[in-house]
Amino acid sequence: MRTYLEFAIKKFQNKMTYRFDFFMEIVNTIITIVVYLCIYKALYGGTKDIDGITYQMVATNFVISMGLSNAFKFNEMFLQDKIHDGTITNEFLKPVNFTFRMLWENIGEGAFKIVFNFIPALIFTIFYTSFCPPKSIINFLVMLVSISLGYLILWLISFIVQTWSFWLFSVWGIITIKNVFVNILSGSLLPIWFMPDLLRKIISFTPFESIYFTPVRIYLGELSGRDILSGMAIQILWIAVLAIVANVFWKKGVKKLVVQGG
Amino acid sequence: MSEIRTAIQSLKMSFRTRMQYRVDALVAALAVFVRESTNIIVIYLALMKFQNMNGWNVSEMLFLYSILFLTYAFVVSLFADLRDFPRMIREGRFDRLMVRPRGLLFQLILSNADVIASVGHGTLGILLFVYSAGKVGIEWNLTTILYYICAIIGGILIQGGMFIFFSSLSFHFVETNSLREIFYWNMRKFAGYPISIYSKLIQGLMIYVVPFAFVNYFPAQYLLRKEDMANYNEVYMYIAPLVGVGIYSLAYVFWRISIKRYKSTGN
Repeated sequence: MRTYLEFAIKKFQNKMTYRFDFFMEIVNTIITIVVYLCIYKALYGGTKDIDGITYQMVATNFVISMGLSNAFKFNEMFLQDKIHDGTITNEFLKPVNFTFRMLWENIGEGAFKIVFNFIPALIFTIFYTSFCPPKSIINFLVMLVSISLGYLILWLISFIVQTWSFWLFSVWGIITIKNVFVNILSGSLLPIWFMPDLLRKIISFTPFESIYFTPVRIYLGELSGRDILSGMAIQILWIAVLAIVANVFWKKGVKKLVVQGG
Repeated sequence: MSEIRTAIQSLKMSFRTRMQYRVDALVAALAVFVRESTNIIVIYLALMKFQNMNGWNVSEMLFLYSILFLTYAFVVSLFADLRDFPRMIREGRFDRLMVRPRGLLFQLILSNADVIASVGHGTLGILLFVYSAGKVGIEWNLTTILYYICAIIGGILIQGGMFIFFSSLSFHFVETNSLREIFYWNMRKFAGYPISIYSKLIQGLMIYVVPFAFVNYFPAQYLLRKEDMANYNEVYMYIAPLVGVGIYSLAYVFWRISIKRYKSTGN
């Protein structure tokens, strides 16, 4: 554990050295959020609420889910690059679990972006628009746990698709398509409240709802008491299922791996 | 004439290079298509719940967006090298062009085409146009068709001009990627929607600084005449196709001045 935490910290410090890049990313996050807030302001056009959902709730949803989805971006071509240039074999010689190393490096990067991207963007939007405060301090703290679980789901989905680079020449296209699904179905571009009933029903059977929407609902108090527990139980269930799938692909892929030359 | 032949030849080459890995190229084009459809899906689903956005209904919104995709499909097939210009300078590939017997800008525009992106954006643009053009109540006659074609060309020239402008900055500054990121890519995110939904500051930027409004908003207004046009000078609709010519010429002059300062990065 200590070793892997070290990977995360290293990545965090590594990111610190490229300061100008992260300034650009803050601007990027802010502009994306502003565009969507303007769109919803225009869509609401003075109406107080649509099916009980107010503009403030929508804004809260966007700031959390869109802000986090920008912060949780990481290099998804990592595994493919390692396979293409053959350096993956070096990784297997090291006395650390390669998968965990990937996870913790990405966590380190995510933590960096939460501090230097998400929080500045959040502060900006507090001045820019009004959004809902958390239902209670407890809701807020539980949300933080739920966000971490959401991150794991997001990471596992990405990892599964990344392992396909053992079989495919390039996974860029598939990763891009996967991200479209994740972005839309997780509600980070269109709040899940506003989706057609059928689509909403379908999404509730997928892991996408558990990524950002469960934390958002906990924050807003849409889920309370028992519902919070069941929401988080579903998150944990998805993590278990995805971890098993990921493990199968990883094991099969490593067995198939042939690296030419040395 | 030989210019045109060279141009066609190089377009063919770009195409064939990408087609070496056929499946990969097809998946990549599909991926671009799906990625760019994201906003379209979101608009469509959102407008199922809300009837309109500042008076624009779903077909009108898609028509507005289609212009952005159609123009961009041409922009990436013509200006791909200028889009990636800072990298070209850094890697010293620009020097190669200087020893060839053709104009520099001519070579840059014609030598590389981002075929994958062009196909992805173009297909989406055509689909959206076909879907929306009949539903938005435009009377397609000689005037409107001619206006539409000019507006598309104007839109290509505006974005091409911007790429030339940003590329020229590479001769003055070492690092220009961030400027490009803020003023082109980020401003482009605003462009898919009626600009009247934004604050005055953003509207001003979109009209006078990074004139995306003339790529799709004002041309669409000429054809659709939505109420929110009352916020702007009517002249903008009529001059929209000309703005491209103006911007492109200015960018060209700036390029000619800037290129005198070029110093190679070495080999």
